[in-house]
Amino acid sequence: MGGMSAALDQLTDWVRRFAVAVRENRDELTRLDAAIGDADHGINLDRGMTAVVAALDAESQPTAAALFKKVGMTLVSTVGGASGPLYGTFFLRVATASGEVTELDGPAFAKALRAGLEGVVARGKAEAGDKTMFDALAPAVDALDAALADGDPLAESLRTATAAAEAGRDATIPLVARKGRASYLGERSVGHQDPGATSVTMLVAAAADALA
Amino acid sequence: MTAPVDTVGTLVGIVVVSHSRALADAAVALAREMVHEGGPRIEVAAGLDETTFGTDAAAIMTAVAAADDGAGVVVLMDLGSAVLSAELALEMLDPDLAGRVVLCAAPLVEGLVAAVVTAAGGADSAAVAAEATDALTAKSTQLGGATAASEAPAGPAADGPTITLTLADPHGLHARPASRLVGAVRGLDADVQARNTSTGSDWAPVASLSRLATLGGLVGHVIEIRATGPDATTALDQLAAAAADSGLTRAVRPVSGAPQQVWAQDAPVRPLGASPGIAVGPARPLRAAAFDFDDTPADDPSDEQARLDRARADAAHAIEAVRDHTVATAGADEAAIFDAHLALLDDPDLAGDAHARIAAGSAAGRAWADAVDIAAARFAALPGEYLRARAADVRAVGDEVLRALTGAGAPAAAPGDGVLVAADLTPADAAGLDPATVTGVVLAAGSPTAHAAILLRAKGIPAVVGAGAHVLDVAAGTVVAVDGATGEVLLDPTPEQADRFAGRAAERADRDRAARARASEPATTRDGTTVLVGVNAGSAADAAAATGADLAGLVRTEFLFLGRDDAPGVDEQEAAYREVAAALGGRRITLRTLDVGGDKPLPYVPAPVEANPFLGVRGLRLALRAPDLFATQLRAIVRTAHATPVSVMFPMVSTVAELAAARAALDAAIAAEGRGVPAELQVGMMVEVPAAALRAAAFAPHVDFLSIGTNDLTQYALAAERGNDAVAALADPLDPAVLALVAATCRGAGDDVLVAVCGEVAADDAAAALLVGLGVRELSVAAPAVAGVKQSVRDIDLAAAAALADQALRAPDADTVRALTAG
Repeated sequence: MGGMSAALDQLTDWVRRFAVAVRENRDELTRLDAAIGDADHGINLDRGMTAVVAALDAESQPTAAALFKKVGMTLVSTVGGASGPLYGTFFLRVATASGEVTELDGPAFAKALRAGLEGVVARGKAEAGDKTMFDALAPAVDALDAALADGDPLAESLRTATAAAEAGRDATIPLVARKGRASYLGERSVGHQDPGATSVTMLVAAAADALA
Repeated sequence: MTAPVDTVGTLVGIVVVSHSRALADAAVALAREMVHEGGPRIEVAAGLDETTFGTDAAAIMTAVAAADDGAGVVVLMDLGSAVLSAELALEMLDPDLAGRVVLCAAPLVEGLVAAVVTAAGGADSAAVAAEATDALTAKSTQLGGATAASEAPAGPAADGPTITLTLADPHGLHARPASRLVGAVRGLDADVQARNTSTGSDWAPVASLSRLATLGGLVGHVIEIRATGPDATTALDQLAAAAADSGLTRAVRPVSGAPQQVWAQDAPVRPLGASPGIAVGPARPLRAAAFDFDDTPADDPSDEQARLDRARADAAHAIEAVRDHTVATAGADEAAIFDAHLALLDDPDLAGDAHARIAAGSAAGRAWADAVDIAAARFAALPGEYLRARAADVRAVGDEVLRALTGAGAPAAAPGDGVLVAADLTPADAAGLDPATVTGVVLAAGSPTAHAAILLRAKGIPAVVGAGAHVLDVAAGTVVAVDGATGEVLLDPTPEQADRFAGRAAERADRDRAARARASEPATTRDGTTVLVGVNAGSAADAAAATGADLAGLVRTEFLFLGRDDAPGVDEQEAAYREVAAALGGRRITLRTLDVGGDKPLPYVPAPVEANPFLGVRGLRLALRAPDLFATQLRAIVRTAHATPVSVMFPMVSTVAELAAARAALDAAIAAEGRGVPAELQVGMMVEVPAAALRAAAFAPHVDFLSIGTNDLTQYALAAERGNDAVAALADPLDPAVLALVAATCRGAGDDVLVAVCGEVAADDAAAALLVGLGVRELSVAAPAVAGVKQSVRDIDLAAAAALADQALRAPDADTVRALTAG
């Protein structure tokens, strides 16, 4: 269907693909976090997404709002580290913005991601250049909006957004961390890619794959 | 420490959020020892399970609900995700319950013990949270080595070393030295308190500028300061040094027999004339406009707090910029007031009050404005005029934050005629001033070469910049005398001084009258060479104001393009250009095609973000990349040229190829109009790039005239941006290097191509002879300067001017050139 909109099964697939990506990259995420944090990002997020997949297996969700609320609440209770409330807030805001629907068109999906981003900002108080997940997620959401505004189909727009997230993720390497445990390291955080920016790039890439 | 059993149902509940279940359980056990029976409900939300570290917002919600008996809940957290999860839990809770929850920043163990004890006593949630937050003080006191007993109450009452300061500063403990005291204790692990023993005031924390100033310390008062904590002795040593160093005490500023001079009667320090002319009138300190901030209560207090934090950071940047500028131009002493402003911005009382208001549901703007009002009112109620005036500092800082918060524009001046007094003016501020009401301008900072100064000259408003921070203290209505040529500023002048200014003003008025009387006569040198004197216009009104102008030597067409969402069409542009020509009575107008760059992006012209827009896509470079926009403007110019004498000129030309491309676009526009080449159309270019000046001969065959933009030519030649005060002094248009480029342009132009100067330097009376001596035959200046420049030309002897130019070209530096022209 040319990827103009995302049906509920595709949205579910997005979450599942993200879980797979986190599992496959768990050690890499943990390694990145070991360099500048408390070496738990991969383990924590994998624990959370494993619980999410189990919850989705146990009970299918009737609407986008229900799906993402389930994801958010599960992450909040199972991740443990700062990514729990951050990813939790992200999915809870996405749930609210999605509404009780079974399909999201491009603009609606972009609006939901924007709401999620705003939730992350509200929760983490991060700004551009703080070396956080914001640095990958914000350019991705901006790129998605811009590509959709140019008339690109959702699938293609998400590929553009993924490229923007990757660029943002890579740009965290030279930054000094200003949020989270990494901020205690100050200058020593320079030269390391931010784990949160890395995992959230996987989240955007998973959307591009699932909603293709 | 007894907890009445019968009130247990109404006690404030406590929730402990930690990464570790074991840590939380142990902390709770420790705290429970403090209350032997009863005590508050204490719930734990810690770890993902018994052994896995982590925090869980859902578990925190459950714990809060369980801990609440209707009297509210205080939540204590360890770090990191504990804080994020607690905030998320608060967001997801029933708003009714969430409204009774306080997230407390106290350290976990000490805070928990204090919170449990206080809650057991039946205190409300705010008091429980406050006691928890203060819990660290007792520990600091103990570690400070003082003999504080274990039951010493938390807070200021504590033994420790003390010093006393006798205030010698005539203004008492005012903002600038007070901010030095705040700075002296910042970062130290000490609780430092001060009181005014002369008035019997309460103790106030030295870390809080606003509280410190409320001591009402006047000259002669004795201030007692005491400190506890590990760094107590260091704190007092540094305070004594800061007090002496800032002149607050007698230590380094011995009082002589004569009374100390108040600054207002002192001669000005290092002010610079920025716009010639004399003004004597009441001071009009710049006041902020009312801010239009969103008053609706916050959905999420943390969002509002984040907005306020961002705005405070932005405001700090803005104040730092002014301070750095002042340090560079007037020295660190003058800049100290801005440090005081920065300290006020960081003031824990002010920030804490705003934070509490946000937590209680206010929007960021309302919370900050109210907190500022209260702090300002506290100053306003103090004894002593000087201290009362510090309310203005609080408001200035408050306004800076509100401006950042609301995105509001520059402040507007207070109503009433007079001399505007301000820290600095943005170009926007300067552009908005009305010469009919603002008779003069005095800026604490600023540079004569900044855009604001250029705008003031264009408006003919006498101005002095770099007058020093003290001018900001002037009370509204105080008479101020300003000489914008010499840079003199007198506050509250004596009658003799006022007479002197009036005499000077009369002399100048005589010369101006003579110039105006002959304004419409041609400007011809003594030996009969006519020099055209034009006006630089940014609007029809500028042109209309130019009494005697032979032409408009520069019409900045940007006025049509800036501040809108779409480009003006051919008809609109033609109408505007014809209006300028009509305002000049049909004399020639020189229309410069759109001259913008990345520093002033237009929403309808795609432009990349550039690291250095002044060396990027601007002027003609931009026009050639936006061919539709350029074609539309050229068609409007061609149509105008069919109706009235028009010269067109292209800005920022570097190569002959660019000029050829521009001429081709012009030819296309002429062809598109289909009426042939307008009979009186002349074509020229700006010479702003040194490459163009050096190769003028290569351009000359393609143009009727060359117009030197000395402002840009100077900044490119000397690699010194004129808006950057640190290097602005280098960017002197009378630098021999710039003059050499002017000479090269005149040589390259030959006999058939007219060379004009349309930069600021053309309006400099002394520079007229020099420029004419170099070969310039048209000077285009701001409207108010036209008549005066014509009069200067009439005094020129061409042979003498050529000799002067020759000398200037061989001069070692700009100062020598200036001396030559003055002689």
